Amino acid sequence: MKIESHEHGDAQVIYLKGKVMGGPESAEFQNLLKKAVADGKKKVVIDLGEVEWMNSSGIGLLVSAFTTVKNSGGELKIARTTEKIESLLVITKLNSVFETYPDVISAVASYK
Amino acid sequence: MPATSKPIPAPEASAPDSDSTKPLPENAPPCAQYAPRAQRLNELSILADRFAKELNEGKGDAALAEKFLEVSREAFRGSSMLELLREVEEEREENRVLMQVSMKLSSAGDLSEVLKAILDSLRHVVLFSAAGIFVFSQEMDKIELDMMVGYEGADRGKVHNKFKDGFVQDKGIVAHVLLSGTDLYVPDVTKDNRYVLIREQTRSELAVPIKIRDELIGVFNLESDDYDGFSEHDRRVLTAFASHAGVALERARSDRLRRKAQQIQEEFALARNIQRTFLPDTMPRFDPYDLGGMNFPSSEVGGDYFDFIPLTNTDMGIVMGDVAGHGVPAALMMANFRACLRVEAKSNYDIPVILSKVNEFLFETNRSGDYVTAFYGVLDRRTKVLTYSNAGHNPPILIRADGTLRELSEGGLLLGSFGNVRYEQVRLHLEPHDMIVFYTDGVTESQNSENVEFGKQRLIESALKYRDLTALEIVRRICHDVHLYRAPDSIQDDLTLSVIKYVLPA
Repeated sequence: MKIESHEHGDAQVIYLKGKVMGGPESAEFQNLLKKAVADGKKKVVIDLGEVEWMNSSGIGLLVSAFTTVKNSGGELKIARTTEKIESLLVITKLNSVFETYPDVISAVASYK
Repeated sequence: MPATSKPIPAPEASAPDSDSTKPLPENAPPCAQYAPRAQRLNELSILADRFAKELNEGKGDAALAEKFLEVSREAFRGSSMLELLREVEEEREENRVLMQVSMKLSSAGDLSEVLKAILDSLRHVVLFSAAGIFVFSQEMDKIELDMMVGYEGADRGKVHNKFKDGFVQDKGIVAHVLLSGTDLYVPDVTKDNRYVLIREQTRSELAVPIKIRDELIGVFNLESDDYDGFSEHDRRVLTAFASHAGVALERARSDRLRRKAQQIQEEFALARNIQRTFLPDTMPRFDPYDLGGMNFPSSEVGGDYFDFIPLTNTDMGIVMGDVAGHGVPAALMMANFRACLRVEAKSNYDIPVILSKVNEFLFETNRSGDYVTAFYGVLDRRTKVLTYSNAGHNPPILIRADGTLRELSEGGLLLGSFGNVRYEQVRLHLEPHDMIVFYTDGVTESQNSENVEFGKQRLIESALKYRDLTALEIVRRICHDVHLYRAPDSIQDDLTLSVIKYVLPA
């Protein structure tokens, strides 16, 4: 898993790439997220367009990220899901919790 | 002449000590440190025997006599006969003590006992007021193990702290030896600014490194109440003892690692056995339904769970669940989930209530990001109705007699990640020859060497191929197909499958 992070206006956009399946790299992602939240970021977008593969641990990573942002009064949104991720979100019914958008720009624009 | 044709090794120069700082070769006899002098005396006695023999035979040889005198002079140079005899006696005693230490090392198990034995034995051959063996942690930031005698007045914690500070500031004799890896003798501690006071009475201090092979692991330290309390001879003896301590420590270290590995293995085996009891080992009879299920954990313990829970004579609880993640954390959460679900399933009738309660329980007790996906249903054999709710789990597949398919996905969110979740339930009427295949993602996500997943379609095809067999046999054959499909080096998840078949009596 590769992680990149950019600021997009007042939104923090985090790009996950490669295989998202938990493991040691997940700590890096969580630390990044905690830092964004500590910096007062309320808008966090996770871009999943370049995720090659994701398993249940990867889903767990998204769930805990969602909770971290929500608990600090912010909102996490997802941009660009692959077919595989879309099906995981449908199976787990997380599609009823996560807002997903076709690209980062529309995800950022969706914040009121 | 045969006697002189044999070359006699020249006696070594009188300073054989240059080698004494080298660690002993492995398996060296304890007396190896003292070879030079013993060797010379040995030569002398061989020559004396030969000389006496030849004199007896009337063959006195001038050259041999000359050689004898030469070697004698060399051996006796700088020391009187009495001194020499005393030294020989001392060396004998040292060897005896070292032999004892060796024997104790090969029999004793407890490391502190061994270190204590080394200190006790050392007392017989070297005079000291206080002694300590200190073994440092791998990061060299603290004393991991110590054995001290003669520090009665000193507080042990303080001793540890002093060494620790000393190591950081390069103060103290022990810290210096540990940093430099070489011996250090300070004949007058009051005149050496590296010295750190631990015992008021100490006047001189001698410390040598303890090594395992070439790795420095600790320090063997002696203190004396006398100025210049240790001799060169003491340093050699201490070095020999330190090398024994090294051997003992190395053995203890590998013993400890082996025991630890064994303990972990035993704990895993125990956990696996406990976990097996969580899964049905025999399938309950529930006519007209045939039930079968199997689980293949990817590691010693897994996070998959299937169950058939007899609720009443006519109702059977049916569970297929998957805890995110692997190994012990997943297994513990699985045990938690199972216990909770079984309690709620037996005390509630309404499936959405059961799942909401289980969800709330897991949500309160879990770390964020840990979750369970589960299908729970109750099959009523009187009405032939399966009432179910799917909490984020891979939808079981209903395969009807005519081949039509239906996925049982209605329900609600995965369990344990969010509070206040509501679940819906669905009533499904089962027809004769209906078959439902329940599975975890390990089945459909198994990948072949081209990274293509086994997928739902292959699962359905397999199930159709074996549909005339018993439920358990169908499960076994599908699992076999998955095993054949997946690349041996691919990521291996737990595999769990169960099947319900509506069988009409023949």
